[in-house]
Amino acid sequence: MAAAWQKLVNFLGPDLTIIVVGLVGVLALVQVNALFLVWLERKVAAHIQLRIGPKEVGPFGILQTIVDGVKLVSKELITPRHVDRKLFMLAPIAIFLPVLVSFVVIPFSERLHIRDLNVGLLVIFAFSTFNVLAILMGGWASNNKYSLLGAVRSVAQNVAYEIPLLLSILSVLLWSNSLQMSVIVESQSNVWNVFWMPVAALIYLICATAETNRAPFDIPEAESELVAGFHTEYSGMRFALFFLAEYSNMLIVAAVATTLFFGGWKSPPFLGFLPVPGLIWFLLKTYILIFVVMWVRWTFPRLRFDQLMNFCWKIMIPLALFHLIVYAGIIKFIR
Amino acid sequence: MGMVKDIFVGGWSLLAGMWVTIRRIYRPVVTVQYPRRYLEMSPSYRGHIEFKSFPETGTHNCVACGTCMRFCPTNVIKVQGEKIHTHSEKRASLYFIDFSHCSLCGLCVVNCPTQTLQFSDEYDMAHFSRWDGVVDLIRRLEESA
Repeated sequence: MAAAWQKLVNFLGPDLTIIVVGLVGVLALVQVNALFLVWLERKVAAHIQLRIGPKEVGPFGILQTIVDGVKLVSKELITPRHVDRKLFMLAPIAIFLPVLVSFVVIPFSERLHIRDLNVGLLVIFAFSTFNVLAILMGGWASNNKYSLLGAVRSVAQNVAYEIPLLLSILSVLLWSNSLQMSVIVESQSNVWNVFWMPVAALIYLICATAETNRAPFDIPEAESELVAGFHTEYSGMRFALFFLAEYSNMLIVAAVATTLFFGGWKSPPFLGFLPVPGLIWFLLKTYILIFVVMWVRWTFPRLRFDQLMNFCWKIMIPLALFHLIVYAGIIKFIR
Repeated sequence: MGMVKDIFVGGWSLLAGMWVTIRRIYRPVVTVQYPRRYLEMSPSYRGHIEFKSFPETGTHNCVACGTCMRFCPTNVIKVQGEKIHTHSEKRASLYFIDFSHCSLCGLCVVNCPTQTLQFSDEYDMAHFSRWDGVVDLIRRLEESA
């Protein structure tokens, strides 16, 4: 095993080895994460509504998603007659690929890090913006009024909510003085950012929910108005790719929130004596955040479009700007 | 200032909503696992009609008068009786209903002169053929006894 590993490293070189192994790991993580999150979402939804949820396939129904995935793979890929074929086929790929790139810079623990770029955060936000493009491609190419409306709404919403999202993380960046993910985590070794910038964390979480198009901000795929929104015309594995990207985006925004506000791989201050590896802490925090996002989804009704836009432009952006100015002052004063 | 107040009042109501849902997670579920467990039907539930069994005679008390047959708005009841000997009462020997046309109005139950009809608590009545909806009440009573 060790000899084979040495051979691989010699053949590819250390950098390329990390990238290849990392990408394989990320691909596996994305699949397993989506399988787990779909199951978790159904369980959370069920128990909030006093139901049971999936329980037939495997213990506690945990294999249900695998069965669903097999069904989706075996389905026919229907391409309706009047669609723009190239864009229609490209959209699911375009929504899925940026997800993989974003995982490259996420610090899962002190050393489990595919690439510690010095513009790590920028990479994540640059690539997650592709999400909007892919949704617009899918909605436009489908040649369907529901798809187009869903895509248009999605673009308006994502463009609007990106502003407070970035404003809220600017105060974190002012404190850490770097865009490098590991440096941001190290800057929280005394106190997590969430404890002294709770408003920024809240703004980030709200905007991240809107960015990932999840309820109560899921108007791009509002079932009662738009059938399924931008992916109305997609079937089989293409639909599954949209689904996979949605749940992977959830993992990304939760992982970024963990890194920015909840101390990344660091243990909680009062539990530092426990011999728990950083990866476990990181995943624990991330999945607790995802649970909160699911909890919010199954609690609140969907916003109307004007409410959504008013909330962003009239409340979130002024609040985020005000917060940034105040914290810039505070940080200048402390340093 | 109104906006700040709105934010706090709204935020508080959101937290209250989330408190409601998080408590639901630990409540016992109300779903009954249907093919493995069955619901106890309430006494006022209306399934198709069936014969009551009287403890004095150990059987039904249908005299095949045909009242139910004549009252039935959709004509789903077919009843025939026979006399065991010349001076005895008439007894039902055949009693069929076609449940697929029955509207569960209950006219047969309230008008039965011997009050031998009642609603059953049968609720899983899906079938593949229209003839599967035909219920033989006499056989049903014999099987349940």
